[in-house]
Amino acid sequence: MGKRIGIVGVPPLEVIRELNRNRYTIVDLDEPQLQHPINLTAKYMPKVYCAVLRTVVLNVMHLRLDKIYIDVGPGKCDCALHVATILKDIQDVPIIRTRNQDQEGYGTPICQSHLPLLEKMEDITRGVQSVDPYTPCQPSEPTAGFWGVPPRDFSILSLFPDTTHIYGWTRCMENKTPADLTLEYYYNPDIPTIFFAQSFCAKTALAKHLATLHPRALYMDCDVQAGSSGRAKVEAFLELTKR
Amino acid sequence: MLLADFGTSYFKLLDTDKGAEPEIIPTRALSPDFTADLATGHNAKRRSRKSINELTALARGGRKLIDDANFTLLDCGSRDIKYIRFQGNEVADMGWNAECGASMGFTIELLAKYYDINYSALRIPETGFSITCGVLGMSRIFDAVVNGSSETEAVAKFVRGIARNGHRFTGSPDRLYLSGGLCDNALFTGCFPCDLIPLGRFVLLEGLKEYRAKQR
Repeated sequence: MGKRIGIVGVPPLEVIRELNRNRYTIVDLDEPQLQHPINLTAKYMPKVYCAVLRTVVLNVMHLRLDKIYIDVGPGKCDCALHVATILKDIQDVPIIRTRNQDQEGYGTPICQSHLPLLEKMEDITRGVQSVDPYTPCQPSEPTAGFWGVPPRDFSILSLFPDTTHIYGWTRCMENKTPADLTLEYYYNPDIPTIFFAQSFCAKTALAKHLATLHPRALYMDCDVQAGSSGRAKVEAFLELTKR
Repeated sequence: MLLADFGTSYFKLLDTDKGAEPEIIPTRALSPDFTADLATGHNAKRRSRKSINELTALARGGRKLIDDANFTLLDCGSRDIKYIRFQGNEVADMGWNAECGASMGFTIELLAKYYDINYSALRIPETGFSITCGVLGMSRIFDAVVNGSSETEAVAKFVRGIARNGHRFTGSPDRLYLSGGLCDNALFTGCFPCDLIPLGRFVLLEGLKEYRAKQR
Protein backbone atom coordinates (compact mmCIF):
# COMPACT_ATOMS: atom_id res chain seq x y z
CA MET A 1 0.00 0.00 0.00
CA GLY A 2 1.35 3.47 -0.96
CA LYS A 3 2.39 5.88 1.68
CA ARG A 4 0.20 8.80 2.77
CA ILE A 5 2.14 12.00 3.16
CA GLY A 6 0.70 15.11 4.81
CA ILE A 7 1.70 18.57 3.63
CA VAL A 8 1.24 21.95 5.32
CA GLY A 9 1.60 25.09 3.25
CA VAL A 10 3.48 24.85 -0.03
CA PRO A 11 6.52 22.57 0.31
CA PRO A 12 9.38 23.13 -2.19
CA LEU A 13 8.97 21.71 -5.69
CA GLU A 14 11.76 19.18 -5.11
CA VAL A 15 9.69 17.65 -2.28
CA ILE A 16 6.52 17.45 -4.38
CA ARG A 17 8.50 16.05 -7.31
CA GLU A 18 9.85 13.28 -5.06
CA LEU A 19 6.41 12.47 -3.65
CA ASN A 20 4.94 12.32 -7.16
CA ARG A 21 7.79 10.13 -8.39
CA ASN A 22 7.10 7.62 -5.61
CA ARG A 23 3.34 7.85 -6.32
CA TYR A 24 2.63 8.65 -2.68
CA THR A 25 -0.80 9.95 -1.73
CA ILE A 26 -0.56 13.60 -0.70
CA VAL A 27 -2.99 14.85 1.96
CA ASP A 28 -3.39 18.64 2.21
CA LEU A 29 -3.54 19.17 5.96
CA ASP A 30 -4.45 22.88 5.62
CA GLU A 31 -7.93 21.83 4.48
CA PRO A 32 -10.59 20.10 6.61
CA GLN A 33 -10.23 16.35 5.93
CA LEU A 34 -12.74 15.18 8.56
CA GLN A 35 -15.95 16.28 10.24
CA HIS A 36 -14.62 16.36 13.81
CA PRO A 37 -15.18 19.56 15.87
CA ILE A 38 -12.21 21.89 15.73
CA ASN A 39 -12.35 22.48 19.50
CA LEU A 40 -10.76 19.05 19.98
CA THR A 41 -7.46 20.80 19.25
CA ALA A 42 -7.81 22.80 22.50
CA LYS A 43 -5.94 19.95 24.16
CA TYR A 44 -2.79 21.02 22.32
CA MET A 45 -3.16 24.67 21.36
CA PRO A 46 -5.09 27.86 22.23
CA LYS A 47 -8.62 28.23 20.90
CA VAL A 48 -7.73 31.74 19.75
CA TYR A 49 -5.38 30.75 16.95
CA CYS A 50 -5.34 30.58 13.16
CA ALA A 51 -8.19 28.23 12.13
CA VAL A 52 -6.12 26.83 9.26
CA LEU A 53 -3.37 25.69 11.63
CA ARG A 54 -5.93 24.38 14.12
CA THR A 55 -7.29 22.37 11.19
CA VAL A 56 -3.79 21.02 10.54
CA VAL A 57 -3.56 19.77 14.14
CA LEU A 58 -7.10 18.34 14.00
CA ASN A 59 -6.23 16.42 10.83
CA VAL A 60 -2.99 15.09 12.27
CA MET A 61 -4.75 13.99 15.46
CA HIS A 62 -7.07 11.74 13.47
CA LEU A 63 -5.38 10.72 10.21
CA ARG A 64 -2.90 7.90 9.70
CA LEU A 65 0.07 9.41 7.93
CA ASP A 66 3.57 8.16 7.19
CA LYS A 67 5.30 11.51 7.12
CA ILE A 68 4.46 15.23 7.27
CA TYR A 69 6.15 18.05 5.39
CA ILE A 70 5.43 21.42 6.96
CA ASP A 71 6.67 24.61 5.36
CA VAL A 72 7.83 27.03 8.05
CA GLY A 73 9.84 29.56 6.07
CA PRO A 74 8.94 32.97 4.65
CA GLY A 75 6.46 31.22 2.33
CA LYS A 76 4.26 30.24 5.28
CA CYS A 77 4.33 31.80 8.76
CA ASP A 78 5.86 31.75 12.23
CA CYS A 79 2.73 30.10 13.60
CA ALA A 80 3.45 27.07 11.37
CA LEU A 81 6.95 26.92 12.84
CA HIS A 82 5.48 26.50 16.32
CA VAL A 83 2.78 24.10 15.13
CA ALA A 84 5.59 21.94 13.69
CA THR A 85 6.96 21.62 17.23
CA ILE A 86 3.52 20.67 18.56
CA LEU A 87 3.07 18.03 15.85
CA LYS A 88 6.50 16.59 16.61
CA ASP A 89 5.60 16.25 20.29
CA ILE A 90 2.13 14.75 19.85
CA GLN A 91 2.82 12.28 17.02
CA ASP A 92 5.39 9.60 16.24
CA VAL A 93 5.23 10.45 12.51
CA PRO A 94 8.39 12.07 11.08
CA ILE A 95 7.87 15.83 10.78
CA ILE A 96 10.02 17.44 8.09
CA ARG A 97 10.33 21.22 8.27
CA THR A 98 10.92 22.92 4.90
CA ARG A 99 11.66 26.50 3.91
CA ASN A 100 10.29 27.01 0.42
CA GLN A 101 12.16 29.78 -1.40
CA ASP A 102 11.43 28.56 -4.95
CA GLN A 103 11.72 31.34 -7.53
CA GLU A 104 10.66 29.50 -10.69
CA GLY A 105 7.31 31.10 -11.62
CA TYR A 106 4.66 28.76 -13.03
CA GLY A 107 2.32 31.61 -14.00
CA THR A 108 -1.14 32.42 -12.67
CA PRO A 109 -3.69 31.43 -15.34
CA ILE A 110 -6.25 30.10 -12.84
CA CYS A 111 -6.24 33.33 -10.78
CA GLN A 112 -7.26 35.25 -13.91
CA SER A 113 -9.62 32.72 -15.48
CA HIS A 114 -13.41 32.66 -16.02
CA LEU A 115 -13.90 29.86 -13.52
CA PRO A 116 -16.16 30.45 -10.50
CA LEU A 117 -14.00 31.70 -7.62
CA LEU A 118 -14.67 28.58 -5.57
CA GLU A 119 -13.38 26.37 -8.41
CA LYS A 120 -10.38 28.64 -8.96
CA MET A 121 -9.48 28.21 -5.29
CA GLU A 122 -9.97 24.44 -5.36
CA ASP A 123 -7.81 24.11 -8.49
CA ILE A 124 -5.04 26.23 -6.98
CA THR A 125 -4.93 24.38 -3.66
CA ARG A 126 -5.05 21.02 -5.47
CA GLY A 127 -2.27 22.24 -7.78
CA VAL A 128 0.16 22.34 -4.85
CA GLN A 129 0.28 18.54 -5.02
CA SER A 130 1.67 18.49 -8.57
CA VAL A 131 4.70 19.82 -10.44
CA ASP A 132 2.98 19.63 -13.83
CA PRO A 133 2.64 22.93 -15.74
CA TYR A 134 -0.83 24.50 -15.92
CA THR A 135 -3.08 24.17 -18.91
CA PRO A 136 -3.28 27.62 -20.53
CA CYS A 137 -6.74 29.23 -20.31
CA GLN A 138 -8.32 32.42 -21.57
CA PRO A 139 -8.14 35.24 -18.98
CA SER A 140 -11.34 37.04 -18.01
CA GLU A 141 -11.87 40.79 -17.77
CA PRO A 142 -11.80 41.33 -13.99
CA THR A 143 -14.73 43.02 -12.24
CA ALA A 144 -13.71 42.20 -8.67
CA GLY A 145 -10.68 41.06 -6.72
CA PHE A 146 -10.07 38.61 -3.91
CA TRP A 147 -6.75 39.23 -2.19
CA GLY A 148 -5.49 36.85 0.45
CA VAL A 149 -5.03 33.28 1.55
CA PRO A 150 -7.41 30.39 0.81
CA PRO A 151 -10.05 30.79 3.55
CA ARG A 152 -10.77 28.01 6.05
CA ASP A 153 -14.41 28.26 4.91
CA PHE A 154 -14.57 28.20 1.10
CA SER A 155 -18.33 28.87 1.09
CA ILE A 156 -17.74 32.61 1.22
CA LEU A 157 -16.16 32.41 -2.24
CA SER A 158 -19.49 31.49 -3.84
CA LEU A 159 -20.66 35.09 -3.28
CA PHE A 160 -18.17 36.50 -5.79
CA PRO A 161 -18.74 36.82 -9.56
CA ASP A 162 -16.85 34.46 -11.88
CA THR A 163 -14.89 37.45 -13.17
CA THR A 164 -13.14 37.81 -9.81
CA HIS A 165 -9.36 37.69 -10.06
CA ILE A 166 -7.24 36.31 -7.23
CA TYR A 167 -4.31 38.19 -5.68
CA GLY A 168 -2.12 37.89 -2.61
CA TRP A 169 -0.66 34.68 -1.21
CA THR A 170 -3.10 32.49 -3.17
CA ARG A 171 -1.61 33.91 -6.38
CA CYS A 172 1.85 33.06 -5.00
CA MET A 173 0.58 29.52 -4.38
CA GLU A 174 -0.49 29.12 -7.97
CA ASN A 175 2.83 30.57 -9.16
CA LYS A 176 4.57 28.09 -6.83
CA THR A 177 6.59 30.91 -5.29
CA PRO A 178 4.96 31.25 -1.85
CA ALA A 179 7.75 33.47 -0.50
CA ASP A 180 7.48 36.03 -3.32
CA LEU A 181 6.48 39.12 -1.33
CA THR A 182 6.43 41.38 -4.38
CA LEU A 183 3.79 39.17 -5.97
CA GLU A 184 1.92 38.93 -2.67
CA TYR A 185 1.76 42.74 -2.31
CA TYR A 186 0.39 43.19 -5.83
CA TYR A 187 -3.27 44.20 -6.30
CA ASN A 188 -5.33 45.80 -9.05
CA PRO A 189 -6.45 49.32 -7.99
CA ASP A 190 -9.01 49.49 -10.79
CA ILE A 191 -11.36 46.83 -9.45
CA PRO A 192 -13.19 46.60 -6.09
CA THR A 193 -11.21 44.20 -3.96
CA ILE A 194 -11.80 42.32 -0.75
CA PHE A 195 -8.61 41.94 1.28
CA PHE A 196 -9.09 38.75 3.27
CA ALA A 197 -7.06 37.09 5.99
CA GLN A 198 -7.75 34.37 8.51
CA SER A 199 -8.45 35.80 11.95
CA PHE A 200 -5.36 35.68 14.21
CA CYS A 201 -3.04 35.33 11.20
CA ALA A 202 -0.05 37.70 10.84
CA LYS A 203 -1.30 38.51 7.34
CA THR A 204 -4.27 40.42 8.84
CA ALA A 205 -1.93 43.41 9.25
CA LEU A 206 -0.89 43.31 5.59
CA ALA A 207 -4.47 42.81 4.41
CA LYS A 208 -5.73 45.77 6.43
CA HIS A 209 -2.83 47.95 5.34
CA LEU A 210 -3.26 47.20 1.63
CA ALA A 211 -7.01 47.78 1.95
CA THR A 212 -6.29 51.32 3.14
CA LEU A 213 -4.06 51.91 0.09
CA HIS A 214 -6.58 50.53 -2.40
CA PRO A 215 -9.23 53.06 -3.56
CA ARG A 216 -12.18 50.60 -3.43
CA ALA A 217 -11.46 47.95 -0.85
CA LEU A 218 -12.95 46.10 2.07
CA TYR A 219 -10.82 44.41 4.69
CA MET A 220 -12.27 41.34 6.31
CA ASP A 221 -11.16 38.42 8.40
CA CYS A 222 -12.95 35.23 9.31
CA ASP A 223 -12.21 32.57 11.88
CA VAL A 224 -13.46 29.00 11.46
CA GLN A 225 -16.58 29.84 9.47
CA ALA A 226 -17.90 32.90 7.71
CA GLY A 227 -20.88 34.12 9.74
CA SER A 228 -23.96 35.82 8.35
CA SER A 229 -22.52 39.29 8.99
CA GLY A 230 -19.33 38.43 7.08
CA ARG A 231 -21.32 37.10 4.15
CA ALA A 232 -23.56 40.18 4.20
CA LYS A 233 -20.51 42.46 4.09
CA VAL A 234 -19.19 40.69 0.99
CA GLU A 235 -22.59 40.80 -0.73
CA ALA A 236 -23.12 44.47 0.08
CA PHE A 237 -19.60 45.50 -0.92
CA LEU A 238 -19.80 43.74 -4.28
CA GLU A 239 -23.24 45.16 -5.02
CA LEU A 240 -22.51 48.71 -3.91
CA THR A 241 -19.18 49.00 -5.73
CA LYS A 242 -20.47 47.59 -9.01
CA ARG A 243 -20.14 50.00 -11.94
CA MET B 1 -46.56 46.73 -2.09
CA LEU B 2 -45.53 45.69 1.41
CA LEU B 3 -42.00 46.71 2.42
CA ALA B 4 -40.66 45.41 5.72
CA ASP B 5 -37.61 45.84 7.90
CA PHE B 6 -37.63 42.74 10.12
CA GLY B 7 -35.76 43.85 13.22
CA THR B 8 -35.08 41.51 16.13
CA SER B 9 -37.40 43.33 18.57
CA TYR B 10 -39.59 45.39 16.21
CA PHE B 11 -40.47 45.22 12.59
CA LYS B 12 -41.15 48.27 10.53
CA LEU B 13 -43.78 47.97 7.84
CA LEU B 14 -44.72 50.24 4.95
CA ASP B 15 -47.66 49.64 2.62
CA THR B 16 -46.76 51.78 -0.40
CA ASP B 17 -50.26 51.44 -1.86
CA LYS B 18 -51.86 53.15 1.14
CA GLY B 19 -49.50 56.11 1.22
CA ALA B 20 -49.62 56.08 5.03
CA GLU B 21 -46.77 56.41 7.52
CA PRO B 22 -44.76 53.27 8.31
CA GLU B 23 -45.92 51.17 11.26
CA ILE B 24 -43.74 49.86 14.08
CA ILE B 25 -44.89 46.51 15.41
CA PRO B 26 -43.26 44.28 18.07
CA THR B 27 -41.72 41.28 16.32
CA ARG B 28 -43.32 38.89 18.78
CA ALA B 29 -46.75 40.14 17.63
CA LEU B 30 -45.99 39.11 14.05
CA SER B 31 -48.35 36.52 12.64
CA PRO B 32 -46.49 33.32 11.63
CA ASP B 33 -47.77 33.49 8.05
CA PHE B 34 -47.05 37.19 7.44
CA THR B 35 -45.11 37.76 4.21
CA ALA B 36 -43.79 41.02 2.75
CA ASP B 37 -43.10 41.74 -0.91
CA LEU B 38 -39.66 43.21 -0.34
CA ALA B 39 -37.80 43.08 2.96
CA THR B 40 -34.56 43.31 4.84
CA GLY B 41 -33.38 42.22 8.29
CA HIS B 42 -33.46 39.00 10.26
CA ASN B 43 -35.96 36.55 8.81
CA ALA B 44 -36.34 38.61 5.64
CA LYS B 45 -35.45 35.66 3.44
CA ARG B 46 -38.06 33.50 5.13
CA ARG B 47 -40.77 36.14 5.32
CA SER B 48 -40.62 37.91 1.98
CA ARG B 49 -40.82 37.27 -1.72
CA LYS B 50 -37.62 39.27 -2.26
CA SER B 51 -35.01 40.22 0.31
CA ILE B 52 -31.91 42.42 0.30
CA ASN B 53 -29.25 42.46 2.95
CA GLU B 54 -29.28 45.08 5.70
CA LEU B 55 -26.03 46.79 4.79
CA THR B 56 -27.27 47.30 1.25
CA ALA B 57 -30.56 48.70 2.53
CA LEU B 58 -28.72 50.95 5.00
CA ALA B 59 -26.40 52.26 2.27
CA ARG B 60 -29.25 52.97 -0.14
CA GLY B 61 -31.36 54.62 2.56
CA GLY B 62 -28.44 56.72 3.75
CA ARG B 63 -27.62 57.89 0.26
CA LYS B 64 -31.24 58.95 -0.24
CA LEU B 65 -31.59 60.81 3.06
CA ILE B 66 -28.16 62.39 3.45
CA ASP B 67 -27.25 65.24 1.17
CA ASP B 68 -23.49 64.81 1.41
CA ALA B 69 -20.95 62.91 -0.70
CA ASN B 70 -18.97 61.99 2.44
CA PHE B 71 -20.74 60.53 5.44
CA THR B 72 -20.73 57.76 8.02
CA LEU B 73 -24.03 56.17 9.00
CA LEU B 74 -24.42 53.88 12.01
CA ASP B 75 -27.43 51.65 12.55
CA CYS B 76 -27.93 50.50 16.14
CA GLY B 77 -30.36 47.64 16.30
CA SER B 78 -31.57 45.44 19.11
CA ARG B 79 -29.12 42.70 18.30
CA ASP B 80 -26.25 44.17 16.32
CA ILE B 81 -24.64 47.36 15.06
CA LYS B 82 -23.59 48.09 11.52
CA TYR B 83 -22.26 51.05 9.62
CA ILE B 84 -21.47 52.26 6.15
CA ARG B 85 -19.05 55.02 5.15
CA PHE B 86 -19.24 56.91 1.87
CA GLN B 87 -16.38 58.95 0.48
CA GLY B 88 -16.96 60.98 -2.66
CA ASN B 89 -20.31 59.20 -3.18
CA GLU B 90 -18.52 55.82 -3.22
CA VAL B 91 -18.66 53.13 -0.55
CA ALA B 92 -15.39 53.45 1.34
CA ASP B 93 -15.90 51.13 4.30
CA MET B 94 -18.51 49.13 6.14
CA GLY B 95 -18.83 46.95 9.20
CA TRP B 96 -21.29 44.66 10.88
CA ASN B 97 -20.78 43.61 14.43
CA ALA B 98 -23.16 40.85 15.44
CA GLU B 99 -21.04 39.17 18.08
CA CYS B 100 -18.90 41.62 20.07
CA GLY B 101 -21.51 44.37 19.64
CA ALA B 102 -24.24 41.98 20.58
CA SER B 103 -27.59 42.90 22.03
CA MET B 104 -26.81 46.54 22.77
CA GLY B 105 -30.21 47.97 21.82
CA PHE B 106 -32.03 45.06 23.37
CA THR B 107 -30.12 45.42 26.65
CA ILE B 108 -30.81 49.17 26.87
CA GLU B 109 -34.55 48.52 26.54
CA LEU B 110 -34.40 45.61 28.97
CA LEU B 111 -32.63 47.71 31.61
CA ALA B 112 -35.18 50.53 31.35
CA LYS B 113 -38.00 48.09 32.04
CA TYR B 114 -36.18 46.24 34.82
CA TYR B 115 -35.06 49.35 36.72
CA ASP B 116 -38.10 51.44 35.69
CA ILE B 117 -35.91 54.17 34.19
CA ASN B 118 -36.99 57.07 31.98
CA TYR B 119 -33.90 57.72 29.86
CA SER B 120 -35.03 61.20 28.84
CA ALA B 121 -34.90 62.26 32.49
CA LEU B 122 -31.29 61.14 33.01
CA ARG B 123 -28.34 63.49 33.00
CA ILE B 124 -25.56 62.62 30.55
CA PRO B 125 -22.73 61.20 32.69
CA GLU B 126 -19.23 62.66 32.67
CA THR B 127 -17.69 59.19 32.56
CA GLY B 128 -18.86 55.76 31.49
CA PHE B 129 -18.03 52.09 31.38
CA SER B 130 -15.79 50.62 28.71
CA ILE B 131 -18.21 48.24 26.99
CA THR B 132 -18.09 46.22 23.79
CA CYS B 133 -21.06 43.95 24.40
CA GLY B 134 -24.46 44.61 25.92
CA VAL B 135 -24.69 41.29 27.70
CA LEU B 136 -21.19 41.29 29.19
CA GLY B 137 -21.52 45.00 29.99
CA MET B 138 -24.34 44.34 32.46
CA SER B 139 -21.87 42.95 34.99
CA ARG B 140 -20.37 46.48 35.13
CA ILE B 141 -23.76 47.78 36.32
CA PHE B 142 -23.99 45.18 39.05
CA ASP B 143 -20.41 45.90 40.18
CA ALA B 144 -21.07 49.66 40.29
CA VAL B 145 -24.28 49.22 42.33
CA VAL B 146 -22.46 46.93 44.78
CA ASN B 147 -19.82 49.65 45.14
CA GLY B 148 -22.34 52.36 46.01
CA SER B 149 -23.56 53.83 42.71
CA SER B 150 -27.27 54.36 42.23
CA GLU B 151 -28.93 52.10 39.68
CA THR B 152 -29.78 55.01 37.40
CA GLU B 153 -26.23 56.37 37.55
CA ALA B 154 -24.81 52.94 36.70
CA VAL B 155 -27.23 52.41 33.82
CA ALA B 156 -26.42 55.88 32.44
CA LYS B 157 -22.72 54.99 32.45
CA PHE B 158 -23.55 51.74 30.69
CA VAL B 159 -25.48 53.61 27.97
CA ARG B 160 -22.59 56.05 27.55
CA GLY B 161 -20.21 53.12 27.13
CA ILE B 162 -22.40 51.63 24.42
CA ALA B 163 -22.61 54.94 22.55
CA ARG B 164 -18.84 55.43 22.74
CA ASN B 165 -18.25 51.88 21.52
CA GLY B 166 -20.55 52.50 18.53
CA HIS B 167 -18.62 55.68 17.72
CA ARG B 168 -15.26 53.85 17.85
CA PHE B 169 -16.68 51.02 15.74
CA THR B 170 -17.37 53.47 12.91
CA GLY B 171 -13.82 54.86 12.98
CA SER B 172 -14.52 57.83 15.32
CA PRO B 173 -15.80 60.33 12.73
CA ASP B 174 -16.42 64.00 13.62
CA ARG B 175 -19.96 63.75 12.30
CA LEU B 176 -22.06 60.62 12.53
CA TYR B 177 -25.55 59.88 11.24
CA LEU B 178 -27.58 57.48 13.37
CA SER B 179 -30.32 55.06 12.33
CA GLY B 180 -32.57 52.88 14.48
CA GLY B 181 -34.81 53.00 17.52
CA LEU B 182 -32.09 54.49 19.74
CA CYS B 183 -32.44 57.76 17.81
CA ASP B 184 -35.33 58.44 20.23
CA ASN B 185 -33.21 57.87 23.33
CA ALA B 186 -31.91 61.30 24.41
CA LEU B 187 -29.42 59.83 26.86
CA PHE B 188 -27.92 57.59 24.17
CA THR B 189 -27.72 60.28 21.50
CA GLY B 190 -26.28 62.76 24.01
CA CYS B 191 -23.41 60.46 24.88
CA PHE B 192 -21.73 60.49 21.45
CA PRO B 193 -18.49 62.51 21.43
CA CYS B 194 -19.21 63.97 17.98
CA ASP B 195 -21.77 65.84 15.95
CA LEU B 196 -24.60 63.26 15.91
CA ILE B 197 -27.50 63.49 13.48
CA PRO B 198 -30.35 61.05 14.23
CA LEU B 199 -32.27 59.93 11.14
CA GLY B 200 -34.91 57.83 12.89
CA ARG B 201 -36.12 54.28 12.55
CA PHE B 202 -37.01 54.08 8.88
CA VAL B 203 -33.67 54.42 7.09
CA LEU B 204 -33.71 50.76 6.01
CA LEU B 205 -37.29 51.13 4.73
CA GLU B 206 -36.07 54.11 2.73
CA GLY B 207 -33.36 51.84 1.34
CA LEU B 208 -36.01 49.33 0.29
CA LYS B 209 -37.96 52.09 -1.46
CA GLU B 210 -34.81 53.12 -3.32
CA TYR B 211 -34.09 49.53 -4.32
CA ARG B 212 -37.65 49.14 -5.60
CA ALA B 213 -37.44 52.39 -7.58
CA LYS B 214 -34.17 51.25 -9.22
CA GLN B 215 -35.72 47.90 -10.19
CA ARG B 216 -38.61 49.55 -11.99
